[in-house]
Amino acid sequence: MRMARPTPGRAVTIVVMVALVAMTFGCSKKSDPIPASGSMQPAQASIYAVNYPLSYFAKRMAPANARVVFPVPPGVDPAFWKPSASAALEFQSASLILLNGAGYARWTSYATLPQARLVVTADGCRDTYLRTEQSVRHQHGPEGAHAHSELAFTTWLDLQLAACQASRVRDALVAQMPEAKDSVALGFETLERDLLDLDDRLRSLGKALGNQPLLASHPVYQYLADAYGISIQSLHLEPDQELGDDDWKEVDAMLEQDRAIWMLWEAPPLTATEARLRERGVTTIVFDPAGQSPAEGDFLSVMSANVARLECATGVKPCR
Amino acid sequence: MRDSIYLAWRYLRHHRTKTLLLVLSLSVFLGLPLIMRAMSRATQQSLLSRAEATPLLLGKKGSSLDLVVEALYFQLKGAEPITKADVDGLQAMDLALGIPIRTGLMARGFPLVGTSLDYFPFRKLRMTEGRGLAMMGECILGAEAAEALGLGPGDALLTSPSTLFDLAGVYPLKLHVVGILEPSFGPDDEAVFVDLRTAWVAEGMGHGHQDLSSAGPDVVLKRKEGTVTANAKLIQYNEITEANIESFHFHGDPSSYPVSAAIVVPHDEKSGVLLRGRFVDAETRQLVRPAQVVDSLNKQIFRFERILEIVVWTVGLATAVMFVLVMVLSWRLRAEELRTMTRLGCSRWKAAQIMGSEIALMVGASVLIAGVFGIVMAQYGETWLQTLILRGS
Repeated sequence: MRMARPTPGRAVTIVVMVALVAMTFGCSKKSDPIPASGSMQPAQASIYAVNYPLSYFAKRMAPANARVVFPVPPGVDPAFWKPSASAALEFQSASLILLNGAGYARWTSYATLPQARLVVTADGCRDTYLRTEQSVRHQHGPEGAHAHSELAFTTWLDLQLAACQASRVRDALVAQMPEAKDSVALGFETLERDLLDLDDRLRSLGKALGNQPLLASHPVYQYLADAYGISIQSLHLEPDQELGDDDWKEVDAMLEQDRAIWMLWEAPPLTATEARLRERGVTTIVFDPAGQSPAEGDFLSVMSANVARLECATGVKPCR
Repeated sequence: MRDSIYLAWRYLRHHRTKTLLLVLSLSVFLGLPLIMRAMSRATQQSLLSRAEATPLLLGKKGSSLDLVVEALYFQLKGAEPITKADVDGLQAMDLALGIPIRTGLMARGFPLVGTSLDYFPFRKLRMTEGRGLAMMGECILGAEAAEALGLGPGDALLTSPSTLFDLAGVYPLKLHVVGILEPSFGPDDEAVFVDLRTAWVAEGMGHGHQDLSSAGPDVVLKRKEGTVTANAKLIQYNEITEANIESFHFHGDPSSYPVSAAIVVPHDEKSGVLLRGRFVDAETRQLVRPAQVVDSLNKQIFRFERILEIVVWTVGLATAVMFVLVMVLSWRLRAEELRTMTRLGCSRWKAAQIMGSEIALMVGASVLIAGVFGIVMAQYGETWLQTLILRGS
């Protein structure tokens, strides 16, 4: 009878198997991991903008297969929007991120964004940015208390500067989608013409106004004043809020100093505010900076309406 | 032959202690050079592959090895920093992508690496848990760091103070862990990644504090012409949260802030050549090819390895002589046993076969043990040896 006997081969097999199992576990990797940053570029070009004017410029020039996104919810001032982490991650997935420059949208200074895909559109369009007269911390709207940055940032109210910003958007689009170079260039041509037409009208208006000062409800018109030679003194008033005694004292002090007869508002003020201003000989003119998407129309129609209201109120052109 | 092997096997099993000692000493003799070579090759290959995956490195003029070791392997060597403006300037040339690397601080024993988002796709790093960096104050952990610290998304991690006994120094910053990286079997596994600005805040170059315009008289020393001077009671934040993130700011121009080095990824070969040309005569900056630097380090390691090999082979030779001596003495002691085998009808050739099988089995077992140990060490000892080489370089 043949006996089953232990062989050296069995021991060797065990050692080899143990080694193989150890190596298999040592080398194993999990499947389908998530990218470490949202910086993987999608197949379709997606262009994210921090304010409405830039998204409008991009939409006018971008080819049909590109997706232009302006993710700031309606009713929130994009300059003071605080995105959630998921919103910031959404920005990271963009092929191109259009920033305004001049410290606009402070959140971009503390969110983690892919540097290589950022385009600061106003940088280099003028030697220096304008500075705000004062930096007062105050509160309005759903975004809570905020202070305007030291740099004035509503750059697009200088329409030539806006055209320059549009040219930066054009360059970025062409670099991103070289195959769409011709259509982007064509889109830019018409956009530039539209912007410069408005610029001409504002220049004529500035000349006609001469040294006549204007009041402004909010310090957002620095570039308008600087580009078109308009003297504008700013307050910190909200159109949807009733003005208190201190506010009226401030208005009166300004009026005594500047003898202004027109006052620019970002949106129509309350009827009571308008009436009390009229009592003081001040006509309210709505000049929407259009930082946020308008309820009706687009950037160009809003700006055109702004200029028309200014022309009408100041008597430069007959009212329509 | 099978019977000879069986008898040899039974003999070795019966004299377990002697067999074990002989097999172990033979394993060491055979394994040591194998292990050393395997580990050394794996380490050199690993060092080189990371260096080769990094086209160019921009840093302050000085030791190129220190620069590479600090920027690629996050081992602090005290290389002089460049500035963020250098990285921006490089980017403005439109010839390459510049990825800033800021090292210098630690977080519970693991290197804190400040970088940009471009670093992760560049190194092909992917998340295994959580999400990527989205806001200042967040961090993502390398696989080993996460495992060693026992942390995951939602946990917090404090940076280590740069100087333990400096009470006026920078306080630790509480980082929010938002993600864990998949193992990459390299230095990234042991790193704590943060946004570049978070690294600057952790170093004390940026900070956040309570709003001075609404601060009470107990905090404000004086208010004059729009300038508010606060006293030491002013609360400075040691954690960046959604509520206080807007209060974080930098004094001075962030473009002058330090960056340890910048990984430079040229758009194409021509751009790389152009870039290298631009930095040839640079007085204070150097643009190095990490692969060249690591290659020269590898050559030094190779020279050292040759010397070590001679030592190991000498020891090995002594072990072999000892083995032969033990076997010869053992056969002498077994003379009576051999005579008994002959009387039982066993030929001299069969006896020699049995003895030979004993030696073959012991040598075979030693080769196997040495081989398995060599493979395992090449797999797991690489990081240890890499750290040893980089710290000592």
